Amino acid sequence: MNALHFTGLVMLTVGAYLATRSIFLAYKHPLLNPVFLSTIVIIGALQTGGFTLEDYRPAREAMTFLLGPATVALALPLYNNRKVLIKHALPVLSGVVAGSLATMAAALLAGQLLQLGDGVLLSLGPKSVTVPIAVEISRLSGGEATLTAAFVVATGMIGSILGPTALSLLRVKNPVARGLALGTVSHGQGTAVALMESETAGAMSGVAMAIAAVFTALVAPYYLPLFLR
Amino acid sequence: MTRNLLHMTWQILLLWLLFRLGSYLVDLLGVSLPGNVAGMLILFALLSTGVVKPALVETGGGFLLKHFAFFFIPISVGLMAFGALMRQSGVALLAILALSAMVGMAVTGISVEFLHKRSSR
Repeated sequence: MNALHFTGLVMLTVGAYLATRSIFLAYKHPLLNPVFLSTIVIIGALQTGGFTLEDYRPAREAMTFLLGPATVALALPLYNNRKVLIKHALPVLSGVVAGSLATMAAALLAGQLLQLGDGVLLSLGPKSVTVPIAVEISRLSGGEATLTAAFVVATGMIGSILGPTALSLLRVKNPVARGLALGTVSHGQGTAVALMESETAGAMSGVAMAIAAVFTALVAPYYLPLFLR
Repeated sequence: MTRNLLHMTWQILLLWLLFRLGSYLVDLLGVSLPGNVAGMLILFALLSTGVVKPALVETGGGFLLKHFAFFFIPISVGLMAFGALMRQSGVALLAILALSAMVGMAVTGISVEFLHKRSSR
């Protein structure tokens, strides 16, 4: 892997992001989700150019370097919305807990119905939690880490594309409720969409992501086995 | 412009240090929490107690949050490695992920909307 390839792959990614972002901002349609479109464009380009995922890895490491500090920065909208958070502490906590339990149960029950093996089912368990913690939960409960990572990313994509429309169809209009739902199910990617809806939704989504991560880590080892045969 | 850029770089560095601090503390205490979430909670505590003023991290933090979605693109490209699995049982897996995501979304969204209406009446 040389410096030219590295630079090219970074430019491809940044370019795809800037282009799809301006398309999304112009039309605001959930299917035009920048992460979704950019991912398709980049995978297509990599395959056309004969690149493997291994070739892309150095560029990926460099570009995700700031995800840590970006997540830390979620404290800002959270702080700006602290009054909303304190006022609605009970609905926030119970909503995130209920949603986390429900989405895990739905995934494992559906998986069992389709006769997936225990390994795949356990890997599905923590799919709504942010990647670093989901991988850890998966490993501890007997799932496969790489599979879980793929499920987490796919869930983030699905939730951020279908979520806003589904919530509108269900007449969930309150930004607090919308943000919490997006963050509980679709972690950081849901939060990215919530941030584009409003600052309050973004803040709540960040909160939901944190609570869901901690809660899932605590209950998964006891809760997931209930759904295995 | 240059001053602004410097300002932003310094603030992002500060946020990065908080991220490292969070990761370090999580490791040290053996808590099952990702370091970035721990860092977020630390910054929230610092802001709430007034130790850190929002202006100290607002420029850099605002920039990172504006482009929060960007970071998930390189991560999502990793899905490329699962082409074989997707061809084999992709439809079933996608159906499960979509169904369970919508169930979770509905449960959280509807319950919070309901409790919120009741508590603000």
